[in-house]
Amino acid sequence: MVSLLICQIEKRLGSFHLSIDLRVDDHVTALFGPSGSGKSLTMQAIAGLMTPDSGEIQIGDRTVYHAEKRINLPPQERRVGYLFQNYALFPHMTVAANIAYGLHRLPRDEREQRVADAIAAVRLTGLERRRPAQLSGGQQQRVALARALVTRPDILLLDEPFAALDQSIRQELHGQLMELLRELPVPTLLVTHQLEEAYALSRTIAVYQAGRILQVGPRDQVYGKPYSMGVAAQVGFTNEIPGVVIETGNGSTRIRACGLDLLAPETPFRVGQSVICAIRPEHVMLVRKDMDRSGRSGTVIPGRILDELMYGGDLVLRFRPEPTGSGEPVPDLRVVIPSYVYERLGMATEKRWEVALHPAYLLVFAAPEPLHGNEGREEHEPGTFSAE
Amino acid sequence: MQAADWFPVFLSLKVAVLATLSSLLLGVPLAFLLARRRLPAHNLISAVTTLPMVLPPTVLGYYLLLVIGRQSPIGRLLEGWGITLVFTWQAAVLAATVVAVPLVIRSVQAAFEAVDPTLEAAARTLGRSEFAIFMTVTVPLAWHGILAGTVLAFTRAMGEFGATLMVAGNIPGRTQTLSVAIYDAVQAGNNSLANLLVLLISLISVAVLVVLTRVAGGRRW
Repeated sequence: MVSLLICQIEKRLGSFHLSIDLRVDDHVTALFGPSGSGKSLTMQAIAGLMTPDSGEIQIGDRTVYHAEKRINLPPQERRVGYLFQNYALFPHMTVAANIAYGLHRLPRDEREQRVADAIAAVRLTGLERRRPAQLSGGQQQRVALARALVTRPDILLLDEPFAALDQSIRQELHGQLMELLRELPVPTLLVTHQLEEAYALSRTIAVYQAGRILQVGPRDQVYGKPYSMGVAAQVGFTNEIPGVVIETGNGSTRIRACGLDLLAPETPFRVGQSVICAIRPEHVMLVRKDMDRSGRSGTVIPGRILDELMYGGDLVLRFRPEPTGSGEPVPDLRVVIPSYVYERLGMATEKRWEVALHPAYLLVFAAPEPLHGNEGREEHEPGTFSAE
Repeated sequence: MQAADWFPVFLSLKVAVLATLSSLLLGVPLAFLLARRRLPAHNLISAVTTLPMVLPPTVLGYYLLLVIGRQSPIGRLLEGWGITLVFTWQAAVLAATVVAVPLVIRSVQAAFEAVDPTLEAAARTLGRSEFAIFMTVTVPLAWHGILAGTVLAFTRAMGEFGATLMVAGNIPGRTQTLSVAIYDAVQAGNNSLANLLVLLISLISVAVLVVLTRVAGGRRW
C-alpha cells in the first residue's frame, strides 16, 4: 500500500535537532507533543516553507523533497492545504477574496462557483463581503479552512487550529471540525499539544518529544499502551513510582517500590531489575471509608490530601502517602475524582484517606540508565533529549 | 511676474516628481529585500543607503560630482555616448533621488517588516507567484508606509538645495530650481520675488501633504 505521506527528514536549528520518519496511512493523524518538540516544523517541511537538511518527503505518489536527488518543490507546487495557527487570513480582503486567492488560474465563473460552494460547505453564506476582522474566531477558522481546501490539495495541514480560540468555544468547534473533516477525502495532519484534542480529532497519534517521534499508532494504543515512560507521561500517566522487581510469575509482577508492595500485570522484567511504575490520576482509587474493604485487590496506601484543584467537573488532588518506614518516601500522587464524589464524601473537611492502586491499571517500564545530576522526565527516554 | 519666472516652479515640480518615482523604483524593492531576505552584505547595504541622510547635502553633491563629473570613468563613458550630466536638470533629478531614496527605504522597510510573514507563507501554499504575493499581499498591507515614504521623498526632493547646486548649478531657465531661485532672489535683494517663491513652495508642499493624507485615510480595513 502506498502511504499517503512519507516524511523522513533531519533538520538542525541551533541546538534543536529534528529527526523523524513519519509515515501516514490514515485520514486524520495528530502530531502530539509539547511546544517546541518539532511538530510545526514538520508541517513547514511538508509544505515547503522550511527546507530540511536531508531526507525525503512524499505526498501520495509525488516526491516533493528529496535531498539526494536534489528535488525541492517550492510551496507553490506542493498542493498542500495549510491552516495556520492564527489562520493568516488576508486582512485587506473579503471572505470571498480570501477563499478565491488560490484559484487565480481558473476562469472567472468557475472560480466564483468554487468559492460559493466552499462558503456553503463551511456554512459562511451571507458573510462573503465581510473582512476577517469582522468575524468571530470560529468563523475565521472556517474561512481559513475553506481557503486551504478550495484549491483541492493532496494533503491538509492543521497547525494548532484551536490555539487562537477561547477555551469555552473549543469543544463545540472540535465537533464542527470533526464533521467537516469526516466529509473530506483529504488526508489530514493535525498539530496539537493538547491530548484531548489529539484524541478527539484523530485516529492515529504520533507522539513528539524534543525533535523525535516516540511512538506512532492508533490513538487507543498510544493512549492505553504507551511504549515508554516518555510517551506514558505525555498521554496522562503522570504518577510515577520507582521500584525493583522482587517476584515474577503467575501472570503477575511484584515490585518493591519505596517500601510499598505493588502488584502489576505480567512484564518481561527479571527479578532485581529497576523499573518505574506509572498510573493515571483517574485510575488511583479512593477507598471509601463507609464500605467494606475486604475483597479489594491492589495496594492500599494511607495518606492525606495536600491540596486540590478544580478542573472542569473534576477535582485534581495531590495526595501525600504516609512514610512507609523504608527511608525512601513514596512520591506524591495525583488523584482525579469527579466533583460530585468530592462533595458526597465530605472531602472538603476530611483530609486523611486511603488510595488503592489496582494492578490492571499499573504500567511498568524499565528504569532509565542511572544518569547523574539532572532530574526530569526526559531521563526516561535516554535517546530523545539531545535537543532542548 | 514675467513668464520666465515661472520656470523654477515647473522645473522643481518636474524634478521632484521624477526623483520621487525613481526613488520609489529603487527604494521599494531594496526595502523589500532588506525586510525579507538575509542579504550577503546586509549591513553594508543598509549603511550605504542611510548615508545620504547623515551626510551634509553639499558633501553628497561633491561625491556625486566625483562620480558623474567629466573626469570620472562614468562621466567619460557617458560622454562617449554624447551625454553630459553635470549642470543639467537631469543631474538635479539624480541629486534629489539620492537624497530621497533613504527616506523611502526607511519607511517602506519598516512597513514591510510589519507585515506578518505568515500571510506571505499562506499565499505561497495557495500557489501564487512571489511577484503576485508582493503585489497583492505585501504592498497593500504596507500601503501606509509606502505612502509616507512617497510624501517624505517628494517634499525632500522639492526642497533639495545643496546637492542640486553642486551638480546642476544655478543656470536660470535651465537648472535653476525653486529652492535655488529663492536663494538667488535673497542674494540679489529681490525680497518680493523671494516672498512669492517661498509662499509657492510652502503651498505646494502643504497641498501634497494634504492630498496624500486624504488618499491614505480613504484606505482602511
